Amino acid sequence: MHLRRLQCDGFRCLKAIDFSPGDGLTFLRGKNAQGKTSVLESILYAATSKSHRTNTERDLVGKDGDGFRIAVDTQGLERSVKLEAFWRQGIKRFKVNGVALERVSDILGHVSIILFSPEDTALVRGGASVRRAFMDMELSQLSPVYLNALQDYRKALRQRNELLRQPRVSRDLLEAWDPQLARAGSELITQRAAYLEELSELAQEAYRTLSDGEALRAAYKPDVEPGEDLDDLFRQSADNDIRRRQTTRGPHRDDITLTIEGQPARSHGSQGQQKTAALCLRLADLELVKRRNGEYPVLMLDEVFSELDAERVRRLFEYIDPEVQCIVTTTETNPAWNPTGRHATQFLMEAGQLRPI
Amino acid sequence: MVLDAPSVQRLVEAFRRLPGIGKRTAERLALHVLTAPADEAVLLSESVKEARAAITTCSRCGNLTDINPCAICSDDRRDAKTLCIVERPAGAMAIEKGGTYKGRYHVLHGVLNPLEGIGPSELRLDRLYKRIQDEGVREVIVATNATAEGEATAMYLSGQLDGDDVKVTRIAHGVPMGGGLEFADDATLTHALQGRRSV
Repeated sequence: MHLRRLQCDGFRCLKAIDFSPGDGLTFLRGKNAQGKTSVLESILYAATSKSHRTNTERDLVGKDGDGFRIAVDTQGLERSVKLEAFWRQGIKRFKVNGVALERVSDILGHVSIILFSPEDTALVRGGASVRRAFMDMELSQLSPVYLNALQDYRKALRQRNELLRQPRVSRDLLEAWDPQLARAGSELITQRAAYLEELSELAQEAYRTLSDGEALRAAYKPDVEPGEDLDDLFRQSADNDIRRRQTTRGPHRDDITLTIEGQPARSHGSQGQQKTAALCLRLADLELVKRRNGEYPVLMLDEVFSELDAERVRRLFEYIDPEVQCIVTTTETNPAWNPTGRHATQFLMEAGQLRPI
Repeated sequence: MVLDAPSVQRLVEAFRRLPGIGKRTAERLALHVLTAPADEAVLLSESVKEARAAITTCSRCGNLTDINPCAICSDDRRDAKTLCIVERPAGAMAIEKGGTYKGRYHVLHGVLNPLEGIGPSELRLDRLYKRIQDEGVREVIVATNATAEGEATAMYLSGQLDGDDVKVTRIAHGVPMGGGLEFADDATLTHALQGRRSV
């Protein structure tokens, strides 16, 4: 999949942007706070309706503005897709090839984008919710069945938890929510287990390449083992749930265990190891999407040069398949500076404006 | 501007409270009422008032009716042993249009929704339990909507009712009749596949 063109208006600090990256590697050069990350963020938002930096669309609107508009043209093996995202004063609208979507979540799965950003170290250092969000986002893009199950699960869980917050909880009422929670939850567990098995193998390979032989392991750590009867489990944990006033068991408690050379990456990994591990999860996902969809997503690397040492950068660009369209930001403004060993299309970002160099 | 006049604002707001009516449409409707011949506006308001006064909810099943008990509840040819539970009067009307259902109805006027503070007592289920006993109901068909809340309500009712002499069933969900598979959405198809049966 290739990004042909990005146009956006009113997004963060960006001036009106019209950006056509190269087929292979593209550098977005610019000093800090000129808008490089915002360009990547706008692409991610158009493709997923989510930003990696905020959950509030208001934050994405430029100063003095009241909304933004993003248009992204992509070319895949089998079809070209034009995405349009529009937000103005709380009203959100997405279009795919000119057709307005009924539900914003329907945007997922049309265009596949992978972003690695400095925030991603939270995948290693942060709490379980960060890693669950990662699984949920990637699987929702790969499988509409997963996305449906996730939405059903969250809805039923909110209702069940609300019941548990009430002063007197009737067991009968509580159990009314269990079957649909169990049905959706089992789907999540099955798909997460299969995804992690594949991802782990790919992440291991990426990490071995980047770190010169070290072993990274990413293992699914389900709260409830795949195949266990969730309906039964909810019934058994009902007393505890009532005492704790929340649904204590289920896939909303899942996690991914990351270990480097057999040690927990979160507590024992050095900063460099943690950053590399986070990057390798994204790289593994890149390969996994290629396996499942038959083509590579667009890869966007934000500040990867300041995150990794020179040797790892060299190995990284040996690892990334030349077929992958890759957009990389850097604060190095000298057009001659290029540690990747590859030809790059280059742009300079200054005060929210982008121009080819 | 005329739209700012308090009486007109009240009218616009009244229209806006109707289902499916946004601000624009509400203003259009209000302007229509104000510019149409005066007797048309009077006819509208009188009709609303009269219909509202003439129609009540049936004391037995909770459906909308102009006589009490309603025509279905007082029709001896209807099968009193079968009760179809729906969320709203619209659900009962939809099934009546189908023309094949011969039992009676019970309208809940809602479904379980903890987040909106709706529990069993808001659905006046005591009335339902009493009816089942008094009228000797043998089968309860739960026809609440296929939403999370509708499903939970169906589960709850089956837990409360199933057993002593009463069979609780749930209407099937799946691909619409006469509709191509390609027009069904992912969720519907998933449910249709899960609910498959041998032929």
